[in-house]
Amino acid sequence: MSFELTIEPLGQCIEVEDEQTILDAALRAGVWLPHACCHGLCATCKITVLEGEVEHGEASSFALMDFERDEGKALACCARLQSDVVIEAEIDAEPDAEIIPVRDFDGSVQHIEALTPSIKGVVIELDEPMHFQAGQYINLEIAGEACSRAFSIANAPADGRRIELNIRRVPGGVGTGWVHERLALGDRVRLSGPYGCFFVRKSLPEPVIFMAGGSGLSSPRAMIFDLLAKHDTRLMTLVYGQRTRAELYYHEEFLALAAAHPNFRYVPTLSDEAVESDWNGLRAYVHEAAQAHFGGDFRGHKAYLCGPPPMIDACITTLMRGRLFENDIYTEKFFSAADAQQVRSPLFKRI
Amino acid sequence: MDMQATKKKLNLKEKYRAMTRDLDWNPSYQKLEDIYPYASYEGVKIHDWEKWEDPFRLTMDAYWKYQAEKERKLYAIIDAYAQNNGHLNVTDARYLNAIKILLTGVTPLEYMAHRGFAHAGRQFPGAGPRVACLMQSLDEIRHAQTQIHSLSNYNKFYNGFHEFTHMFERVWFLSVSRSFFDDAVSAGPFEFIVSIGFSFEYVLTNLLFVPFVSGAAYNGDMGTMTFGFSAQSDEARHMTLGLEAIKFILEQDPANVPIVQRWIDKWTWRGYRVLTLVAMMMDYMLPKRIMSWKEAWEVYFEENGGALFKDLARYGIRPPKWLDQIAQDKDHISHQAWCTFYNYALAANFHTWIPSEEEMDWLARKYPNSFDKYYRPRLEYWREQAAQGNRFYNKTLPMLCQTCQIPMLFTEPGDPTKICYREADYKGEKYHFCSDGCKEIFENEPEKYIQAWLPVHQVYQGNCFPEGTDPTAEGFDPLAAVLRYYHLESGRDNLDFEGSEDQRNFAAWRGQATTNA
Repeated sequence: MSFELTIEPLGQCIEVEDEQTILDAALRAGVWLPHACCHGLCATCKITVLEGEVEHGEASSFALMDFERDEGKALACCARLQSDVVIEAEIDAEPDAEIIPVRDFDGSVQHIEALTPSIKGVVIELDEPMHFQAGQYINLEIAGEACSRAFSIANAPADGRRIELNIRRVPGGVGTGWVHERLALGDRVRLSGPYGCFFVRKSLPEPVIFMAGGSGLSSPRAMIFDLLAKHDTRLMTLVYGQRTRAELYYHEEFLALAAAHPNFRYVPTLSDEAVESDWNGLRAYVHEAAQAHFGGDFRGHKAYLCGPPPMIDACITTLMRGRLFENDIYTEKFFSAADAQQVRSPLFKRI
Repeated sequence: MDMQATKKKLNLKEKYRAMTRDLDWNPSYQKLEDIYPYASYEGVKIHDWEKWEDPFRLTMDAYWKYQAEKERKLYAIIDAYAQNNGHLNVTDARYLNAIKILLTGVTPLEYMAHRGFAHAGRQFPGAGPRVACLMQSLDEIRHAQTQIHSLSNYNKFYNGFHEFTHMFERVWFLSVSRSFFDDAVSAGPFEFIVSIGFSFEYVLTNLLFVPFVSGAAYNGDMGTMTFGFSAQSDEARHMTLGLEAIKFILEQDPANVPIVQRWIDKWTWRGYRVLTLVAMMMDYMLPKRIMSWKEAWEVYFEENGGALFKDLARYGIRPPKWLDQIAQDKDHISHQAWCTFYNYALAANFHTWIPSEEEMDWLARKYPNSFDKYYRPRLEYWREQAAQGNRFYNKTLPMLCQTCQIPMLFTEPGDPTKICYREADYKGEKYHFCSDGCKEIFENEPEKYIQAWLPVHQVYQGNCFPEGTDPTAEGFDPLAAVLRYYHLESGRDNLDFEGSEDQRNFAAWRGQATTNA
């Protein structure tokens, strides 16, 4: 049994399991709510329940007083849903976020190609168009396994019928193994989406830096194509890294894009390319390549990061050393059970 | 028909902005630097106060409502506690000495914090931090008041609680916490918010708050425990203010990073030194222990602080200096402090004692590397001497550290058998320190610390006798005169717990409450 939670002012709708607190559900869905003690004493996570019923759990009578309970206040870290609920939290509305309800979609596999030895490009033609923001992801049902896997959409929304996924094979992974071994042209698939709040803040005028590594290229690629298709004239730079030239998929495509669009800069980099190869580009990690390209000064930009956690971590440090801070850095955040265990400081909210 | 356009409801952020920053204005008759004269001399550069993100959004009308309700609850519990003679439910009368330290050593700090935040709330040129600091200033004076009221019940029955404000300004060991806060409130607004808002409220507060509040809960002290809960619901605001302040300062200009680093080094060390009192309280004074000081340090500083400093590294901030020494010291400082107070029990407003055999075993378990080897033999020797009628009281005065004002009781890093001494020369005078940390803090600001009011120096200079005392009179007893100056009644407020009036009264009253004798 689960209930639906709508979080205002975002308008975002998420599923909440029995016994799951509002805070836990929100964080896992990538919605940051203010919080500190996480056990009902400090009141940092106080929210207003606009509709529906919650159970207050172990909320302290000092942190959440009786009159507040009467007024519909609750502590997100202790409150559990008794029905579908709408809350209002102290978070800033994103003017560029579209509120798109998540739905199920059916489609068929139209094209499959090996982009690298370990990444497959899969194109799905949906029966009905799905509206999404460039950078969002979908959950693909894994046939016969009663589970689904999240993949970022690698193409711009356009008419919404075409969904491109770039899927790296995870060694021993059930979902990606199925995609790599079993999925075939013409197969019927089901997916749900769109999910996530990783999208370009188009209303903010600053030039944009995309930093991508591994299979994290999908969202930035969708964002870049979307911006260019809409004739956005801001300067945008893609710093894109893989280990070797063989893994640098879409390299030619980005070279062509940079040649065609003067406001798009392309900075490819390889971290583990054989010394004797004919690669004459940068040999460095993504954060090092960005550091060199921008001369260590990132002020006045907006940065969008997508890639494996160590890359994200190194990039954030490099950006902050170069005077670009949390409010100008965007990254897709997936909370795993391991993250919840980790002792984290509350210094940063989103990164 | 015309459609009536409904005005969009302001969200919380907009409402808060309208109620706070919107009330600010750009002065035209006076120059900004004349209105905010302390904003620049510390060297911190702020380019855009608008970048300050309000860490919490609580307006005055909501504030009164919340706090009024909280206080109704708190005072109902304090009243019930008083009416039911709740003081007789504490684990044993030795516990009272832990809350004497709370009332005389910590409560006045809440008041000092009130003053400091009021000052910062006047001096920051940005309206956002001004409002946030004023809110915290109100919290702090409420905390001081409610703490005093929670503890005043004990003053009706037990010794040493009286005249805590008078003692705070005079008694030798209270100058440790007093000078800590004097140092903070006499700094500029930026250093103040880094020292108290960040280093103390965020990095170290759990080490102060948890031991006293959990200590109260573990030892049957409902009044103090309830005060703790009522205050804790404000602490989250204070922590978020400290975090926002440090982020804001670090992001505004790279030149601020080394300044903030020096403050973090200084205030972590200063705060850690003050916590020596808490360490001793946790390990020796709570009849029912919560956890050892060492465990508390590991959980609240090493683990939580470690995560914080990992994040701060992104700004180019490294962990505070002298952590390696602190890591070695955690096996020792509580024992060294208790041994010192055991010695100087003549001149303190609380009692000391030799821990019971069972308590010594607990200490040995918690401190396998140090207690049996260095401290148990000392305590057993004193116990033996006391049994023979030679309870030892040290009647000389100890040398104090010029910076932290703690007697020279700490040992050399790596050698717990050797007292650590450091010294520095400044303008022809010699100054003494307990550690490399305190020495370096002095050397960064010597003009500030040479003004320190060191209780031992003041006694020797004859400044700590009641007015009209004639030190040249026949049979003059300087210690008795100093105790009179402190308003301590010798034989009642001081000396060993064993044989004290508190011990006798508590036993008699508890006997009346629980038996028919």
